[in-house]
Amino acid sequence: MLTYSFNRLLQLVVTTLGVVTLVFFTLRLIPGDAASAMAGETLSGEALDRLRDQMGLNKPILIQYFEYLRNLVSLNFGDTITTGLSIGDLLLTAIPITLAIAVATIVLTIIISIPLGTLAAYLAHKGHKTLDNLITGTAMLVDLMPSFWTALVFLLLFSLTLGLFPASGTVSLDEPVAFLHRIALPVLVLSVTQIATMARITRTAVLEVLSEDYIRTARSMGWSELRVLFRHALKNAALPIVTVVGLSFGSLLNGTIIVEFIFTIPGLGSLLVNGINSRDYQLVQTLIVFYALFFVSVNFFTDLVYKRLDPRVQF
Amino acid sequence: MNFMQPITDTVLQVHDLHTHFLTETAVVKAVNGVSFSLKPGERVAIVGESGSGKSAMAMSLIRLLAYPGKIVSGEVIVGGRDITKLSEAELNGVRGSEVGTIFQDPMSSLDPVMRVSEQMIPPIMRNLGLPRKEARDIAVGWLDRVGIPDAAGRIDAYPFEMSGGMRQRVMIAMALSCNPRLIIADEPTTALDVTIQAQIVELLKNLTAETGAAMLFITHDLGLVARFAHKVGVMYAGKIVEFGSAADVFAHPRHPYTQSLLRTIPNAAGAERERLLQIPGFPPDMRNPPVGCSFRERCAAAQDRCAVSTPELTFRGVDHSAACFLPNGLNDAPAPPKPVKRAIRLSNEADLVPQQDILEMHNLRKHFPGKATFPWSKPKTVRAVNGVNLRMRKGETLGIVGESGCGKSTLARLLLGLDEPTTGEIFIAGIAQMVFQDPYSSFNPKMTIFNIIEEPLIVTGAGTRPERAEKVRALIKQVGLEESYLDRYPNQLSGGQRQRVGVARALALNPSVVVADEPTSALDVSVRAQIINLLCDLKDDLGISFIFISHDLLTVRYISDRIAVMYLGEVVEYGPAEDVFLKPAHPYTRALIDAIPTPDPAIEAQRSINIISGELPSPLNIPTGCAFASRCFKVTDRCREEKPVLVAHSQKRDAACHFPL
Repeated sequence: MLTYSFNRLLQLVVTTLGVVTLVFFTLRLIPGDAASAMAGETLSGEALDRLRDQMGLNKPILIQYFEYLRNLVSLNFGDTITTGLSIGDLLLTAIPITLAIAVATIVLTIIISIPLGTLAAYLAHKGHKTLDNLITGTAMLVDLMPSFWTALVFLLLFSLTLGLFPASGTVSLDEPVAFLHRIALPVLVLSVTQIATMARITRTAVLEVLSEDYIRTARSMGWSELRVLFRHALKNAALPIVTVVGLSFGSLLNGTIIVEFIFTIPGLGSLLVNGINSRDYQLVQTLIVFYALFFVSVNFFTDLVYKRLDPRVQF
Repeated sequence: MNFMQPITDTVLQVHDLHTHFLTETAVVKAVNGVSFSLKPGERVAIVGESGSGKSAMAMSLIRLLAYPGKIVSGEVIVGGRDITKLSEAELNGVRGSEVGTIFQDPMSSLDPVMRVSEQMIPPIMRNLGLPRKEARDIAVGWLDRVGIPDAAGRIDAYPFEMSGGMRQRVMIAMALSCNPRLIIADEPTTALDVTIQAQIVELLKNLTAETGAAMLFITHDLGLVARFAHKVGVMYAGKIVEFGSAADVFAHPRHPYTQSLLRTIPNAAGAERERLLQIPGFPPDMRNPPVGCSFRERCAAAQDRCAVSTPELTFRGVDHSAACFLPNGLNDAPAPPKPVKRAIRLSNEADLVPQQDILEMHNLRKHFPGKATFPWSKPKTVRAVNGVNLRMRKGETLGIVGESGCGKSTLARLLLGLDEPTTGEIFIAGIAQMVFQDPYSSFNPKMTIFNIIEEPLIVTGAGTRPERAEKVRALIKQVGLEESYLDRYPNQLSGGQRQRVGVARALALNPSVVVADEPTSALDVSVRAQIINLLCDLKDDLGISFIFISHDLLTVRYISDRIAVMYLGEVVEYGPAEDVFLKPAHPYTRALIDAIPTPDPAIEAQRSINIISGELPSPLNIPTGCAFASRCFKVTDRCREEKPVLVAHSQKRDAACHFPL
C-alpha cells in the first residue's frame, strides 16, 4: 500500500508539472501578451517595452518559465494584472467556497444515488421491471437536462416563486448557517444531474455483480438479501462507481463555473470568468493550474480508494 | 454419534418438482416432475447432458434459481419442512446450516474482494452462535481438513492468491463449515484439472463418510459417477428417466437413454476399439416438450404408445427404477441396434515407413518472458515448451496429454506457426491445420458456414469461385452435414454441428497434419462420440495424420496410435497408446491414468488408486532435477539433483525417469 501510494504521488507530481508547463507555454503562444493586455491601447511602443521589462516579459522564455515555477512552489502567485490585487488572497477566499459547493454536491449525490441505483438494480434482478424502468427512465430524463437550464428553472421556482432560498447576497464562511442556505440551491442544481448519472452507473454496476457466482454463494450460506446486496454486491460494484465519482469531479468543476456565475457566488468559477473577461493572464494561468491540481488530486485519491477496495489492483 | 437428534431416515425428499423459466417470449419447462430421496451418508449423482435440467433441479432444492426461474409445483422436504413454502427469512435459516452448497467454478464462486476469513467466519458465528474467536478456530480447522497447507495463515488470504484447486477446497470447507446434513454439489470438479479433480472427489468422499452428511452430486461425467456415487439418477428433458444403485445402473441399464449414453464413451475395459454409438437427433426443445416419452424420437425401441402416454418411473428390481414401457429398454426392441463393427484401424508398423516422416520436432522450445519484480531485476522466464523432440509418420495419430499448463496448447501453436519457437526446428511435409476447442467462439458469427469454410481457400488463392464452391460442398458432405447448412450462420447450429464445420474448415487446404486441441471438451457426451467417429473416419479415408491434444485420457487412448505425455513443457513418456495406458513407465503417466475415473463402478471399486498429491509447480520455477520430483511417490535425492532425459525404456517406448515403473 505504501509503495503504491508513493508511486501514485510521484505520478501526481509529474502530471501537475506537465499541466503547469503546458499552460505556461500555451498562453505564451496566444498573440499579444500580458503587457499589451494590461496597457490596452493607451501606451506607446516604448512605454509598452518598459512595462514588459518591468513584468519580466523580455527575458528569455526559459528563464521566465523557471521563475514562474519557482514562484508557484513558494506559493507566490503575483498580483492580478487588471486590479493589482494579490492572487494568493483572492484564491484564499474563493477556494473554500467552491470546495464547499463541490464537496456538498458529492456527498449529497452519493447519499441519494447509490441507494437509489442499488434499489433499481435489485428490482431489475428480481424481475420487477416497472419500478426499475420508472427509476431508470427518470434518471435518464434528468441526466439530459443541461445544468444552466436547471439552474434557471430552480432559481425561478425555489427562489423567485417560492422564496425558499436566496438568489443573491453576500457569501461568507463566517456565518455557516447563512452560508449553507446561500449555497443550497447551487448545490441542488449541481446534484440533480450528478445523482441521475451516478444512479444509472450504480444500477448497471450492481446489476452486473448480482448475477455473479459469488453472490449465489453468499445466498447459499444463508445471508439475507440486504446483507448480500450491501456487503457483497455493492462492495464489488464499488470499483466502477468510484472510478465514475472521480471522473465526474471534472464535470462538477465545470458545473461550478456555471452555477457560480448564475447565482453570483464569488468562488473560483466567478474568478475565472472575470479573469477571462478582463484578459487577466496571470490570474487565468494560476486558476487553470489550480483546477488541474484539484482534478489530479481527486484522481490520486480515487486510485488510493480503488486500491483499498480491490486487493487485486497492481500499480 | 448424536443421540439427541430424532432419527429420520431421509435427509431430503423431493416430490414431483416442476421448475420453469418464465422468459418474456416463452416458458422453458426445465424440470418436469422429479421425485427422489436421500438418506444420511448417501451419495447420489444426478447425471445428464447440458439442457437436461439437472442444474435447475439442484438449484430449486435450495431456491437459488436466478430470475426468471420459478418453482411451479412440488415439494422439497428438508428437515421436516417444505423448502418451497418457507419465507425468505426461514429459508436463510436452512441455507448454509442445514444445506451446504458447492458450486462449479471455484474461480468465480468466492467473493474476490473479501478475505477467505471474512467469507467463512461470519456464517459460522451466525449459524452455530459462536463468538468470533471460536468461529475462526473452526474455520481454520475446516481449511486444514480440506487440505489447505498452513490453514491458520492462509485463512486471511484473498481468493485471487490461491489456485483453482485450492479455491474449490475453500468452497468445500465453507459449505461444510456449519455441519449441514445435506450437501448439494453442482458440477464441483468440472472446472478443474483431472489430477485435481481426483483429489477433490477423494476429499468429498472422505468428508461425507466422516460427517455422515448426504450428498447430491450433479455431473455430466459418467466416470465420476462410477467412482463416487452410491446411487445415480439419469436426467433427460427435465425428468429422471432411470434411478438406482450405481453398480446396478451401470451393469444393467434399463432405459434406452442410459443404455445409449453408456455406449457413447470409449470402453474402459478393452483394447478392441468398437465404434462409438451416436445417439441420433437432438434433445427436445423444452419450450414445447413433446407429449409422451421425450426420448422417443431418438429411441430405436420407440413404439406407438410412446407418443401417446408418458412412461413413469417403475421398479425394475430392488433400488432400481426406469421410465420406459419396455422392461429392458433397447434390448427389447424388435431390432436392437447392433454395434457397428467398423473397428478403429490402428496404423500398424508395416504401414508406417520410417522414411515417410510427416512431422519432426527437434529440441523445440518456447520461452515467454515474464514480468520482472523490479525494473532492474532480470525478468523470469516461463518455459512453456522446454525441449520437445517428437516425430510422426504419415497416417499416424499422436495423442498429447497432460494437465493444463503442461505446454500442450503452446506446442500446438508452434506446430501451426502461430508462435515462433524460441529455439529448435519443426519440419512438416505439407501443411498443418487446426481444429479448435470451442466451436462457439472460433467462428465469426457474421459469416455464413459457406464463407467460413471457403475462407482458407480465398486466403491462399486456391481456384476460381466455382471451383471453390464445389470444394466447399464436397467438404461439408465429408463431415456429414447437408449442403443446406451452408447458408446458415454459426448460431443456428448445435455445438456438434459447429465442430463439424470446424473440421471441414481445417480440411479445406488438404492438410497433411490436423492438430485438434481439445476438440471435444466443450461438447456433450453424446455429441462427443460423433466428432470422435468423424475424426476416425477421416483418418481412415484420407490418410491424414492427427495430433489429438486432450486431458481426456480415455478418448486419447481410443483415438491415438501413439501417446506423448507432457509435464511442464517436456515429454516424459512416449510410446504406443495401448502400451502406455496399460503399463505406464513414468510415475506421472501412472498418476494421470489413476486420476481418470472409469465409467464402470465394478472397475472403480477394484482399482488401487494412487492420487497424485500437490499441484503443477509454476513454470517460472522449474526444479533443477526431475520436473516431477515434487509430486512423485518414488522420488529420491538423485531425482532432485539430476534431470532424467527421455531415453528408450523398452523397444517401442521412451520415458524420462531414473526409476521407471
